[in-house]
Formats: sequence, C-alpha cells, structure tokens
Amino acid sequence: MNGAGPEVSFTRLGDAALAVGTPGARALLASLRDSPLPGVQEVVPALHLLTLLFDPLRLDPADLEAALRARLAALDLTAPAGVGAARTLAVPVRFGGRGGPDLTWCAAHAGLSEGAFVEALCAAPLEVAFLGFTPGFAFLTGLPPGLRMPRLDAPRERVPAGSVALGGPWAGVYPSATPGGWRIVGRTDLRLFDLSRPEPVPWRAGDRVRFEAVPAGQPESA
Amino acid sequence: MSGAALIGVPLIEVRRPGLQTTVQDAGRQVRALGVPAGGAADPVARRLGNALVGNAGGAAGLEVTLGGPTLVFHGAALVSLCGAPFDAQLDGEPFPLWRAVAVRAGQTLRVGGTPVGARAFLAVRGGLDLPEVFGSRSTDLRGGFGGLEGRALRAGDLLTVGAAAPLTPRRAFVAPDLHTPLGPEQVLRVTATPDLTGPLAAALLGRAFPVGAQADRMGVRLEGPVATPQDPGRVSVPNVPGMVQLPPDGRPILLLPDAGTHGGYPTPLVVIRADLPRLGQLRPGDRVTFRTVPLPDARAALHAQERALRQAEGSLRAWSGPALYAGRHAD
Repeated sequence: MNGAGPEVSFTRLGDAALAVGTPGARALLASLRDSPLPGVQEVVPALHLLTLLFDPLRLDPADLEAALRARLAALDLTAPAGVGAARTLAVPVRFGGRGGPDLTWCAAHAGLSEGAFVEALCAAPLEVAFLGFTPGFAFLTGLPPGLRMPRLDAPRERVPAGSVALGGPWAGVYPSATPGGWRIVGRTDLRLFDLSRPEPVPWRAGDRVRFEAVPAGQPESA
Repeated sequence: MSGAALIGVPLIEVRRPGLQTTVQDAGRQVRALGVPAGGAADPVARRLGNALVGNAGGAAGLEVTLGGPTLVFHGAALVSLCGAPFDAQLDGEPFPLWRAVAVRAGQTLRVGGTPVGARAFLAVRGGLDLPEVFGSRSTDLRGGFGGLEGRALRAGDLLTVGAAAPLTPRRAFVAPDLHTPLGPEQVLRVTATPDLTGPLAAALLGRAFPVGAQADRMGVRLEGPVATPQDPGRVSVPNVPGMVQLPPDGRPILLLPDAGTHGGYPTPLVVIRADLPRLGQLRPGDRVTFRTVPLPDARAALHAQERALRQAEGSLRAWSGPALYAGRHAD
C-alpha cells in the first residue's frame, strides 16, 4: 500500500499555500523533513493533513502537487510509523486534586473509579498529531474511546500552565496559562515551552507520549 | 567592519512608547511548533526601510502603530521611517519618510499620528540587536517572547543597535508607486477556497466591509455579519497568511502575522500574497472589498511587485557597497 491512492486531496489556499489531505500525512511529513522540496518554506501538520507554505515565485502549485504525489507513491504506509525518527516522551502528571479539578467528573463519565481511570489514561499509547493553538500545545491522539471526554460547555477563562486535559478525541497539556475548554484531570511540571532550553518545545508531530502518574505530594521531577 | 563601528551600545532611549511600538523583523517559520509567524505587518515598508539604511531586508526595526513613539538617540545613527505617512519631527524639524536620515547624538525623534494607514517601520543602520527566538527578533505579544522582553516598548527602555560600518546617507528615496497602497477604500484581491459556498460568495463578494475597532497584529475584524455555516465537528487545520476566517458571529477576520497557527472556522477566501502588506495598513473605519482573481493573476501581481522591490532594494544598496551584504540575505 502506498500513499498516492484516491484518498489524497489537494486544496489550494491562496497563491502560496497548498493543503494535502491524506492518511499518509505523518509519513509524508517525515519524508519532507528528511528531504525538503525546493521552494517549500514550511510544512505545517494537522490531523491527516499537511499545509505547505511555498514561494510562488519559485514553485508552480501544479508542479508541487505532482512532486507530492510522487513522494506519496514512494511511501510505504504499512511500515510502522516513525520508527527511528519518533521519540517517546514521558510526561509525569499529578492527577486529581487542585491541579486536576475535572478528574472526578471524567472518571464518573467513563464509568471507572478515579484510580482505574488514571491507570487507563497512563496506559494509552498517545502520539503528537500536531502542534497548534498556542506555542508548544500538542494535540495528542490515541485515546481509547472510553476516555474521550466532551468539552466544557463554557471554556474556562484561565487554565494554568501544565494542565493535562481531555477534549473530544484529544488529550493535551497547556504549555502556558490560556483560556481553555477541555476537562482538566491533572498537572505536570514538565515545561512544554521553555525558551531557556536549546529545544524550547520538547515534542513534535509524530512523537509518542505516555502519561506517568506521580503520587500526590511528591515532586514530579528533580 | 571598520574600527568606527558601534558595538553593543544602548543607543536609543524610549521617552514615550507610542500606542503599540514593537520590535519586528521578517518573522519566524516554526508554525509546526504552534508558534505564530510574527514579523512586520507591512513587509514592503520593512524591506525598503532596511534597504535605505543599508541593512539586510530582514533586519529588526521598530513597528509603529497609529500613534508613534518619542525616541532619544544617544549616539549617531542612520534611520529611515517607511509606511503610513506619520507626522514625525527630529528636534522639532519635519522628518521625511522614505529616506535615510542621519541622526546626531542627543537628537530626539518624535513620531506622531497618521491620517491614513496604520503602521510604519523605523529601520536603524545595523538593525536592533536583541536575542533571536526561533530565528527571529520579532515580538510575539500574545506569547510574550521575542523583541524586547516579549512586549511593546515602554518609557525608559533602551535599545541597542547592531554593529555596522558608518554610512553617509545619499539623496536616494523610494518611488511612491512602490509604497503599500493606503486609504479608506481598499480592494483586496483574493482567491476562493472550497469553503466558499454559493451563499457565502454572495455575502462576501461585491460589498464593502467596514474595518471594526478590533484590529491588531493577530487579525482585523470586519463589521457587517454574514450568515456563517457552523460545523461543530470541524477539526483544526493550519492557518495561512491572509486567510479570511468566519467565526460563529459572522464577522470576518483577516489574519495578520501574529494569528494563531491553526483554526477551526471556515476560511472561504485567502488574500493574495501581493496584497498582504495592505492588511498591515488597515485601520478602524477603512472599508474593505474582496475581489476574486484567478491564480495566474495573483502570481503575475506578485512577480511584478517582487521585481520592482528587488530593483529598488538593489539600487538603494548599490551606493553603500556590496561587501556589507555578502553572505547575509533575507527575503
């Protein structure tokens, strides 16, 4: 199975951007990172989609489409995704308490005890689908259906940095204090946008993520 | 660099900050990390302003918004102010726009308001010397990083200028036909996306939308709501520069450089690249009309604009000597 099947769609967004919708988006992103196409300035992932910003003076969108079709045709989508390139990031989380005000509600909604809910969430093989909304905010896929939570009817005006939250099909961690409509189940000390580090954002699309429960009252990291 | 180069001197003191004066350059390219592009909202003014003082096009300067700052120069500098026709004075004497002007140590540049347009770019020979964040010195106000401590200028701030060989200003100026068009009636050329349904086309095209009071570096809100289809199941997709976004209240938003990287609202139109600088000059009360153009026309317009800009940049730099620019190019 290759990636250039009929399920690929191209959408021109103005004269300098092209969106590629494909189930092979993740593999195509890895391919474009390894071997960039000349004239493409940025590749921005979303779910099953990449948007390419390009220089229209260097690149004709029809040629870009053809190059992307060729890339997709050469990709082997049956290969395990991201082997070698993908990293695994463990996120230490204190679940519940003041840092996780919605844990009780979420566990009840899932029909589980809080302990079983946390256990199931920590067992979920999550993956960074893409980053957006705010610098370092990752949309994490891989939640089992039973752990998917409806968003709040009215977003909170301020969600503290480090809040671990569930919304629709996604899990996520708020890198900075922002308004937010997801249900907050815990808090991490891991900084997801820290300009004092050489790599300010510790994850990128394709990385694997695991939540690790830290007992209450214990520091999450040294 | 010559022995007379200025190195690491706090050269510019902010006496009054103006309405919203920020450090900007050509912006960053890390949308994949959720980080907005940033950068001067009128890139034509940025490029020509930098060329006038012999800088690379992506050097950092000050973006002035509606009401300008008052700046005291503690050392000699070569500066230019390009963009909307701000009233500006150097020690009380009229300060010309679109020219390189030699400022002496101790002089005060006061930038006032502008009758049309919204922004201007103040370039300083050597560029503003600040740490880069993701390859750019641009201020991200929402994220609170870049520029000077991630915020707009305040009274008492000191700005340091990068090292550069002194340069004597020539009598060069920029032809007005290169300036970003300004004025209360703006026709923006757009291309349609698959979100442009028949009813939306009827609602969005062929009428003028007033620019509302909410106009900042993230986006410009237009008044006059249009009936907007809502799909709560819609997932977030990447935004691109110049997108016209339709939130549930139906008031279109034109996305500017500090817009978020992703959005979940319909985006039926995208302003063509050649017209993006105009977005940075929209001010409340202006009226915007969208006109669709075929893609080849969009490309031809960008070609023409880019050719003229590069010609102007080249000739402005020719008199400051090619050695300064070898190996460093932006745009």
